[in-house]
Amino acid sequence: MQEYYPLTAAQKMHHNWILKYKTQQVSGVSVVASLKSPLDFGLLKKCIQLELQRYGCMRVRFTKPDKNGEVKQYIIEKDTRDIPLKDLSGMSMAEADNLMQQWAYETFDGDDIPMCEVTLVRLPEGYNGFFIHMDHRLIDSCGLVVMINDLMKLYTHYRFGSEYPEDLADFEMVLEKDLKRANNEKRFAKDKKFWDDQLDALGEPLYSDIQGPSVLEEARKRHGNEKLRAADIELEKLFVEVKDYCLEPEPTRNLMDFCMNHQLSMTNLLLLSIRTYLSKVNDGQEDITIQNFISRRSTHDEWTSGGSRTIMFPCRTVISPETDFLSAAYEIQNVQNKIYMHSNYDPALIEEEMRRRYHTPEHTTYESCYLTYQPMPVKMDNPHLENIPQHAKWFANGAATKKMYLTVSHTENGGMNFSYHYQTVQLEEHDMELLYYYMMRILFKGIAHPDMSIGEIMEQI
Amino acid sequence: MTQEMQFKTIVAQYCEVKPEDMNNDMRFREDLGFSSLDFMAFLGELEDTFDIELEGEEALQVRTVSEALDLLESLQ
Repeated sequence: MQEYYPLTAAQKMHHNWILKYKTQQVSGVSVVASLKSPLDFGLLKKCIQLELQRYGCMRVRFTKPDKNGEVKQYIIEKDTRDIPLKDLSGMSMAEADNLMQQWAYETFDGDDIPMCEVTLVRLPEGYNGFFIHMDHRLIDSCGLVVMINDLMKLYTHYRFGSEYPEDLADFEMVLEKDLKRANNEKRFAKDKKFWDDQLDALGEPLYSDIQGPSVLEEARKRHGNEKLRAADIELEKLFVEVKDYCLEPEPTRNLMDFCMNHQLSMTNLLLLSIRTYLSKVNDGQEDITIQNFISRRSTHDEWTSGGSRTIMFPCRTVISPETDFLSAAYEIQNVQNKIYMHSNYDPALIEEEMRRRYHTPEHTTYESCYLTYQPMPVKMDNPHLENIPQHAKWFANGAATKKMYLTVSHTENGGMNFSYHYQTVQLEEHDMELLYYYMMRILFKGIAHPDMSIGEIMEQI
Repeated sequence: MTQEMQFKTIVAQYCEVKPEDMNNDMRFREDLGFSSLDFMAFLGELEDTFDIELEGEEALQVRTVSEALDLLESLQ
């Protein structure tokens, strides 16, 4: 008999965005993975069909929403669909990328339908591979990387006789475990206490914008409330542009060495640079909140089961300008460590609690910046493919739920890529240039002078 | 299964080392490859499995398998 499950907190996060922004487009995730090699498309198709069986999250479907917009999920036993092949080899790579970008804007509309599409692609310059377009409620970027690697292991097994890939964890089993944990009353009470205690200690958060205090001022005028501490969210014009900046290998190494020598994680260093920038452009505001995405993947099963496990929590710190750079980084790390321990909680409940306590108006937020640090590159990690050039690219879904969403990832040459997704209705490329420029100035000033105060750093950069 | 083996079976879900190969002197981060997120998620799982309450600061001082086992014992 078919089992129906509620959504997990991570899935609900995406689902709530679909309801709030009234389009499934905000929940799209797309990537192309290809090799400069004449692939056997017949075999690749067979491997994709096999992957649909191995990776249960690809077979997830959703029921028709109830009157509150809530859905249940279920996993169909078999998905025997055909995998189409599209030939884009007559285009330039930029044209092919543009076309795939259009595919990434497409939505999955309907109930009880597949929420995942895979297309074989013949690309320009001799690249061949596949394009995957999925609903974020089924998978996150880590899950996609695991899937791409598993798929190529299947391919190299059948093509070159390499070892058959190990079994992946059962998606349904991991889902059941997650839901059971979420329903553990003791765990829930502990997590709730942690988040409530933070509000008890610090009170209502205060919005800080990349563009400075004028944004909050305007929101205060619009709402006729000069004490308002949250600013409006853009709900209609969701178009997003992406601006990427690459940090070269040597400075990247310096950042990583700093993290290693001081037992800091890169996420926390990045959070510090963003919060220092926000503080600088908001007249030295000390109370800053940034939404940080956490990929809740720690055990083997969580790593290999697929699914959408990435969830965002507010990282709120109150740091005085007298605090030195290193201490500020440890302060953030301390907050983040506690958040990790309570990351089973549904972040929608934190928002709900804030609305209850502070009567925050509908469709307002306390955060303008969102961060994902993605240490895992989209690279086919397979010895048979080691010397073959690869072309992999993520495509934005074109509809941003966030004003500015930064994804930091590592590049093949040992550098780091800073990918800024920004709502064009409010921000321009120049805003991203400034943000990147100051983030780098803050980071490198800070790691060169870890005992320098945050106030001095803000003044000197 | 002894409590120590039950504990190591949980640890093994987070790393590449099998419970029977786990040495009590092994350090979570350096030897077992735990990230901060892994370690905190692991502490949460210990709380749920052994029905204990971990104090954040105290738990963060834990470096090795043996220190974690001592802490676990002291809380029961």
